[in-house]
Amino acid sequence: MKNDLKSWIGRLVDVYTVYGPRPRGNNFSFERILSPDEISLDYSKTILPLKKFLGPPSEAILRFEGGGVRPLPEEGGARKTLLFGVHCCDASSFTVLDKVFTDEYKDDRYARRRENIVTVVMACSEPEETCFCSSMGTGPSLERGYDVLLTDLEDRYLVESGSPEGDILTKIIPRATTPGPADFQEKKRSIEEALKKFKRRVDTDRLPELFLKNLDHPMWAHIRDIDLACGQCVLVCPTCYCSDIRDTSELTHASGERVREWDCCVLLEFAEVAMGGNFRRDRGARIRQFMGHNLSYGIEQFGRFKCVGCGRCIQACPVHIDITEVASKVRGG
Amino acid sequence: MKDPYLPEKASIEKIRSETVDTKTYTVRLLDERKRTEFSVEPGQFIMVSLFGIGEAPFSLSSSPNSDGAFDTTIRAVGNITSALDRLQEGAIIGVRGPYGRGWPVESARGKDVLIIAGGIGLPPLRPVITKIAEERSEYGRLEILYGARTPDQMIFPDEYDDWMKIKETRLELTVDSAPPGTGWQHNVGVVTTLFDKMKTTPENSLVMTCGPEIMMRFVVRGLLAKKFAPDQICVSLERRMKCGIAQCGHCQIGPKYVCKDGPVFKLSEIQGLPDLAL
Repeated sequence: MKNDLKSWIGRLVDVYTVYGPRPRGNNFSFERILSPDEISLDYSKTILPLKKFLGPPSEAILRFEGGGVRPLPEEGGARKTLLFGVHCCDASSFTVLDKVFTDEYKDDRYARRRENIVTVVMACSEPEETCFCSSMGTGPSLERGYDVLLTDLEDRYLVESGSPEGDILTKIIPRATTPGPADFQEKKRSIEEALKKFKRRVDTDRLPELFLKNLDHPMWAHIRDIDLACGQCVLVCPTCYCSDIRDTSELTHASGERVREWDCCVLLEFAEVAMGGNFRRDRGARIRQFMGHNLSYGIEQFGRFKCVGCGRCIQACPVHIDITEVASKVRGG
Repeated sequence: MKDPYLPEKASIEKIRSETVDTKTYTVRLLDERKRTEFSVEPGQFIMVSLFGIGEAPFSLSSSPNSDGAFDTTIRAVGNITSALDRLQEGAIIGVRGPYGRGWPVESARGKDVLIIAGGIGLPPLRPVITKIAEERSEYGRLEILYGARTPDQMIFPDEYDDWMKIKETRLELTVDSAPPGTGWQHNVGVVTTLFDKMKTTPENSLVMTCGPEIMMRFVVRGLLAKKFAPDQICVSLERRMKCGIAQCGHCQIGPKYVCKDGPVFKLSEIQGLPDLAL
């Protein structure tokens, strides 16, 4: 029954470092959970996506000292991080990031954190105005990509395990019953109900090619005129992974660190090269890079769309640039 | 597995001045095993670290010699390159790589090779010239068109005589301007003004070009006008890679990563992509 969820979370916080959605002003944020009452599962979107758990905004990756150089950070703690109540779109973002950081060259910093993360994902029954995960194949429910999946069946939750870690987690649920065909039937109905509630949709058929054929579409001139190049879309995007790498050092250069920081393709300096050259000096070209990466280039780079349809960029944009409108315009809309 | 961001230590064995602001650094990895394993294709690049100052990508201007040492030719224009410029022989730097896809020297076998370079775009093509010289019978005719702003900006001037001695090889030089007193006896004009003298034809040939993107734009136009096909024109692109391993996102051109899919591309692979001056 639903009340048992709280005692389950109570047991989880003893074993894991648990993070979950908590109110923050008028919004929500994934924060440390020490007691089950702190969690608000009935949340909309968190301000920042979950990428903050895979790499902080700024991090020293190397340390130079006494003529030597060694990787940072040192190994982390043994306690696993459990993200409780993750939405499907956010859970899907991990598959994009995994491809970037563990495919050809494995970034240990990312891999260690990723292996240390356990997810309890919650299917969405009430998509928001800006949500379009149903178009991107990343929600409102998932077939894979979770340790545990919860589906709200009004008077109870359907709990499904998606990994060996999930099997362990679900074993400690108090008074759990084995789900039967009726429960799965209800899950199916709940997904169908949720699907009807989406207000935004993206037609992804041939979208990657159509995007590249419309690089000179008149909308880019319009967007260039209104865009502030503030970079909020990139900051809140769950799959935006670009970083800058720079060195810091003491005045003597005897010791120092190499620091990796979140970076942002819509900022002017991003595409600068030697001698002041810049291949994306134009503001429209920069926002087009963000849109193109999300709606087109990901297919060639990772075999799937980079965009997971969370709608955060739409919500964050101070001038109402809407990625779903861009997707419809390249189709001639 | 080794951290891909951790540079290998290397020493600068030799420094040779090329022009007033450009030097060729001969670099050798300190670790013997790493040095033996280090193999590189012409046109690939490395990430060079000056600890505490920063890291930047540079193409190699030679393959490793029998001693495992290789050249990189660098113009001092920014923070890192200016700090490099102040180093003495024996200095220790960091090296990662090599990375990326170089010139198609294998598929060029049996074909005529046309090299068109501008300014600091010549160094990444030098290993191609060396390879063709070493395996001369494997390749068709070699033609090199090289342009720089002024005569004193030309890189590797001591090597031109040797290049011209390679069998079936032509070398044409040009400068944008030749100030009085420089004794310049070659062409004056941008590199495309050498196209009238060009002997290479589209038939069974491959073009490799590197230089400022605006130069390559006119080179590509000129070549297409001469009926060279987009899949026989190879360009080496410059973008500011911060990681070299397709993780920092800085060098993307549409779906392509210059660090991983390039830096050498066939024109046909990048035609129609955004944010290219080509």
